[in-house]
Amino acid sequence: MIEIHHVHKGFEQVEAVKDVSLHVQKGSIYGLLGSNGAGKTTLLKMLAGIYKPDDGDIFIEGEPIFENVKLKKKLLFLPDNPYFFPHATIQQMAQFYRDVYPGWNEERFWQLQEWFSIDVQQKIQRMSKGMQRQAAFWLVFSVMPDVLILDEPFDGLDAVMRKKMKNLLVQDVAERNMTVFISSHNLREVEDLCDHVGILHNGEMIMEREIDDLKADVHKIQVAFRDGIPSSFLTGLQVVYQEQRGRVLLCIVRGNREEVDAYIQRFAPVIFDVLPLTLEEIFVYEMGRIGYAIESVMV
Amino acid sequence: MFELDIRSRQPIYEQLVEKIKEFIIREVWGPNEQLPSVRLLAKELTINPNTIQKAYRELEHQGYIYSIPGKGHFVATQPEEVSREKLETAKQQLLKLLCEAFYIGMKKDAILSLVDEAEQIAGGGDPR
Repeated sequence: MIEIHHVHKGFEQVEAVKDVSLHVQKGSIYGLLGSNGAGKTTLLKMLAGIYKPDDGDIFIEGEPIFENVKLKKKLLFLPDNPYFFPHATIQQMAQFYRDVYPGWNEERFWQLQEWFSIDVQQKIQRMSKGMQRQAAFWLVFSVMPDVLILDEPFDGLDAVMRKKMKNLLVQDVAERNMTVFISSHNLREVEDLCDHVGILHNGEMIMEREIDDLKADVHKIQVAFRDGIPSSFLTGLQVVYQEQRGRVLLCIVRGNREEVDAYIQRFAPVIFDVLPLTLEEIFVYEMGRIGYAIESVMV
Repeated sequence: MFELDIRSRQPIYEQLVEKIKEFIIREVWGPNEQLPSVRLLAKELTINPNTIQKAYRELEHQGYIYSIPGKGHFVATQPEEVSREKLETAKQQLLKLLCEAFYIGMKKDAILSLVDEAEQIAGGGDPR
């Protein structure tokens, strides 16, 4: 569905995106994570056909996206700062979207009024930041795009609205097999939504993974033995991180849960616990493993 | 319908698989009953439809459900292999717990009386 091959983009002295490749399947929700200035928005704007890559190719449904009007009719980009015409009301903006996007669904637009409870005659620029974002989402969901690109979409929305927007998103994915590409600097915000995640750091893609695999194959374990740690104990494990606290050994290991369990049981530990590891911790350790300074990457 | 813990270290699809298995084993859903559609579950739980699809694939693979293209997913009559597998895991877990119990000084009589108690709770333990 979305294919990005070795894409580069620079602005004057700054190389914003360096040799990024990725692949998103139809009907998938892809989360692009990264700290501020990592190059997320630049990549998104190239994906939306707004910026032209300096090098490399971007294909959506097998066609290059840049200046491709036919393709852009089925694709929608919601920027981090939604744009509305000066003094436009929601109804006037709806008129514009109706003219531009053939997928516009008038029935849906009016149905969605219940979800948002905003007056269509109200001027968008007089609304609060959060309400403006809601207005943007309202228009987005009425356009019914095949590909939806969202840049920090939940910024400024309250918890209830966030949940509602996520719900509308998954419904569209389930019903119409819409493909969604979301950027965020906040892992927590998208971990329940995405099936794949990629991390961008200093313009480079440093990790790409299916989110379930990420959770399934990293474990934090705590073990203690009666007579100290057997010398061969750690050699059979893929240890990402280890720390000794008195007689207790704490380590983060990778691998299949059952295999790790069975392996450790063979050494007859007196204490053996598998402690919960949040997705955030996993990222932090994984990043540490590939040599990135932990604190600079993500909160 | 289900409560999922999104922050849990356990992948969401695994949680779903476990919850649905529980429903099937406890016969909340009988054989050949239709499971909720992917669309419906995605909407109700606000989770990624791909995750639900993955859970259904896994359940199908394990023999708990079957699918009819265009119709949906249905509860399978439980094959013998599944029950045998379950028995085996139960045995393993029991053995492990019993070893621990002996190790911390529990007596055989105490364990046997627990067995009686468990039998009563489970209602005689008649085989499925």
